[in-house]
Amino acid sequence: MVEEEKKKKSVDKASLELIDKACADEVNLAFDRAESMKPCPIGAVGSCCKNCGMGPCRVPLPKGKEETPEDKKKRRGICGATAETIAARNFVRMIAGGSAAHSDHGRGVAELFIAAAKGEAPGYQIRDEQKLLALALEWGVEISDRSNSDIAVEIGEIALAEFGRQEGELLFIKRAPLKRQEIWRQQGVVPRGIDREVVEIMHRTHMGVDQDYENLIQQGTRTALADGWGGSMLATELQDILFGTPAPVLSEVNLGVLKEDEVNIIIHGHEPLLSEMIVAVAREPEMIKLAESKGAKGINLAGICCTANEILMRHGVPLAGTFLQQELALVTGAVDAMVVDVQCIMESLPDIAQCYHTKIITTSPKAKMKGAVHIEFNEHDAVNGAREVVKSAIENFPNRGKNIRIPQEKHDLIAGFSHETINYLLGGLFRASYRPLNDNIINGRIRGVAGVVGCNNARWEHNQAHVAMVKELIKNDVLVLQTGCSAMASAMAGLMVPEAAAKYAGKGLAEVCETVGIPPVLHMGSCVDNSRILIAATAVVKDGGLGDDISDLPVAGAAPEWMSEKAISIGQYFIASGVYTIFGVTWPTEGSKEVTDYLFKDMEQMYGGMWAFETDPIKAAHLMIEHIDKKRKALGIDKARERVLYDMEMRRELDKV
Amino acid sequence: MDYKVVKKNAPGRGEVEILAETYEAGKPEGEDTGKWRQKLESRDEKLKYLQNGERYWYSDDWFGSEKRKTPA
Repeated sequence: MVEEEKKKKSVDKASLELIDKACADEVNLAFDRAESMKPCPIGAVGSCCKNCGMGPCRVPLPKGKEETPEDKKKRRGICGATAETIAARNFVRMIAGGSAAHSDHGRGVAELFIAAAKGEAPGYQIRDEQKLLALALEWGVEISDRSNSDIAVEIGEIALAEFGRQEGELLFIKRAPLKRQEIWRQQGVVPRGIDREVVEIMHRTHMGVDQDYENLIQQGTRTALADGWGGSMLATELQDILFGTPAPVLSEVNLGVLKEDEVNIIIHGHEPLLSEMIVAVAREPEMIKLAESKGAKGINLAGICCTANEILMRHGVPLAGTFLQQELALVTGAVDAMVVDVQCIMESLPDIAQCYHTKIITTSPKAKMKGAVHIEFNEHDAVNGAREVVKSAIENFPNRGKNIRIPQEKHDLIAGFSHETINYLLGGLFRASYRPLNDNIINGRIRGVAGVVGCNNARWEHNQAHVAMVKELIKNDVLVLQTGCSAMASAMAGLMVPEAAAKYAGKGLAEVCETVGIPPVLHMGSCVDNSRILIAATAVVKDGGLGDDISDLPVAGAAPEWMSEKAISIGQYFIASGVYTIFGVTWPTEGSKEVTDYLFKDMEQMYGGMWAFETDPIKAAHLMIEHIDKKRKALGIDKARERVLYDMEMRRELDKV
Repeated sequence: MDYKVVKKNAPGRGEVEILAETYEAGKPEGEDTGKWRQKLESRDEKLKYLQNGERYWYSDDWFGSEKRKTPA
C-alpha cells in the first residue's frame, strides 16, 4: 500500500498496521468500503424524501449555477413538499433516531435500577448512596431513615415515568440555569415526555403532516432536549447510583492493550448493564483458573465505543479503540470474544470474525446479528449470563490461529472526570466548588472551555480531526471536555495525562492544570454522559461571575468526525442549551439554504447557540476560539485589568458617587 | 515528605525560593486510588456535602449568579 494512501485512513499507527494486515488477510474493512462506495450526493445534503411510496423524491440544488426562482419552484416532491420541508424532515428524523437511542438506553437502566432496588436483580446494588440522596432531594422523595432500597424503588419509578410522561415538563429541566428555562418556555420547547417527543417527530414527518421547516425544527429541538436533559441524563444519573460515580482512574488506550498470552474479551457497544457484570465475573478465581487450564495466563478485558468508556470511567478497564477500530481489533487475531450490546456495531463483524477465530456474542434482544452467537442479557440472572459469556471466550482461546499481530501502541490516560469529581478536585471535600475554574476563566489563564465529542467517520482520516482540533484548542488555553470516541482519540494521542499540559497546552492552561493536577483534556465518559457537560456548564453559570446563562459563557462545542444520528441530537440539545457547536465531515441540510441559515444563524437569536460547519479542524478550532473571545468581550473579561486595592478613603469617595 | 524548593524570579523582588511540585513520582496503583466519595461515610455527612459541595442545586441559601426575586 502506498504510504500516502495509508496516511489518509488513520493518524494512528496501530490502526495503520492492522489496515495493512487486513489487506494481506483479504479482509474487507469500513475503510475499503468508504473508498469503493461514495456517499449519495442527494441524500447527503438532505434533498431526498423517501417517506412515502410515491418517492423517493429527489430535489437537489442545480449543479454549478445559482438557483433561479423558477428552478426553486420546481424543486418539490410529488406531494408538493419543498426542499426546505424535506431537509427539515430528514434533519429532525435524525434527531428522533439519536434521541430514541440514548433514551431507550436510559429506559433500560431505569428498569434494571428498579429491579435492583427491589432485590430482583442479583449482583446489582446501590453503589453511590450520595447520588441517590441527591436525586431524592431533587425529586422530593422522603429520605428520613428509609433504607436505600426503599428510596431507590421510588426514584426508579419516577425516572421510568419520565419516558411515558404526557404533559408538564421533564424533571431535569429544573437543573438548567433559570434564564435558560425561561428561554425554553418562551420558545415552546420544554419536553413534555421523552417518548412523546420522539413519536411526535415520526408523526409530523409522515407524508402530509408538518410542512413548515421552522415548526419541524422546533419539535426537533424539543426532542433533542428530551435526550440531553431527559433520557441521556437519566441514564447517566441512574448508572452512577448503580455502578458508582466516576472518579479519577488510570488506564491505557489503543489496540496494544490486547495481550497475546491472555484470553482477550472485547466489550463493545453502549450499555454497561451486562458489561459491569462481566467485569466482576472476569475477576472471579474460578474463571481465572479456567482460563489457566486452557493455557492462558489470565483474562484481559478491553472495550470499544461507549460501553468501553463506561467501564473505563468506573473500573479503569482499558480501551482497545474507537468505532473505526472495532474491525481492526478482530484483525489482530487475538480477540477470543467480542461481546456487543447496542449501537455503533458494524454488521461486518461476524464476516471478519470468520477469517480468524473470534466469537461475536450479541446480548441484547434489540440487536441481533446473523452469524453471531446470542447470549441474551437478563437482568434477573445477569451473573450467570456474564459467566456464560466469559466461559465462551475462555473455551475459544485454544482455537486461536497463528496469524496474530498485536500492535505495540498504547498510551496511559486518566479518566473519571464526572461533574462531581471536577467539583471536588477544584474545591476539596469541605468546600467543593467551580470557583477556581471561574476565577481562572475571568483572569484569562483559561480562555474558555470546549466540549469536543462524537464519533469516527470512515469518510475522514481516522482520529485526525479530533486530535488536531483538541491540540489547537489547548494550545490556545482552552480547557477541553470530552466524551465518546473523540475522548479515546485524544487519549491515544497522549493528551489525557497531566504531563500533556506542559507539553501541549498554552501557558495559562498549563499553570492551572499543574496546580490542580489534571490533564488539559478531561474524559467525562460515554455519549450519554454529554449530560455531564451540561451539568458542568450549569455549575459554572450558577457559581457566578460569568453571566447568568450557558449562552453567556466563553464555551463552544464540536463533533469534528461525527457520523451517527445521536451526534445530531447531541448537537441540537447543546445549541438549544446556548452553546455554539461546530460539526465537520458533512452537513445534512446543505440541500436547503433556508433550513441551513435557520440552524446556523436564526437559532442564535432564539437560543444563544447555533450550528456551524467546517471540515478543517484547525479552522474549526479557530472559529470556536473566535466565539469564545466574543463571549469574553461581552462579559468584559477580554482585557487584563489592573487590580486596585481600595483603602478606606477610596471607598468613601466611591460612596459619594 | 521532603519538600522540593526551586528558585524563580519574582516581580520587584529578584530571585525567590518557592515550593516546587509536591506530587509523588510514579503511577497510582489500584482501582480505588482516586475514589474520593468513600471518604463520606454516614448519610448525614453525605447530605451535608450535598448542601455545601453541591450547593448550586441543593442549598436553599445559595443563588450565585441567579439571585432574583421571583424564581423562574
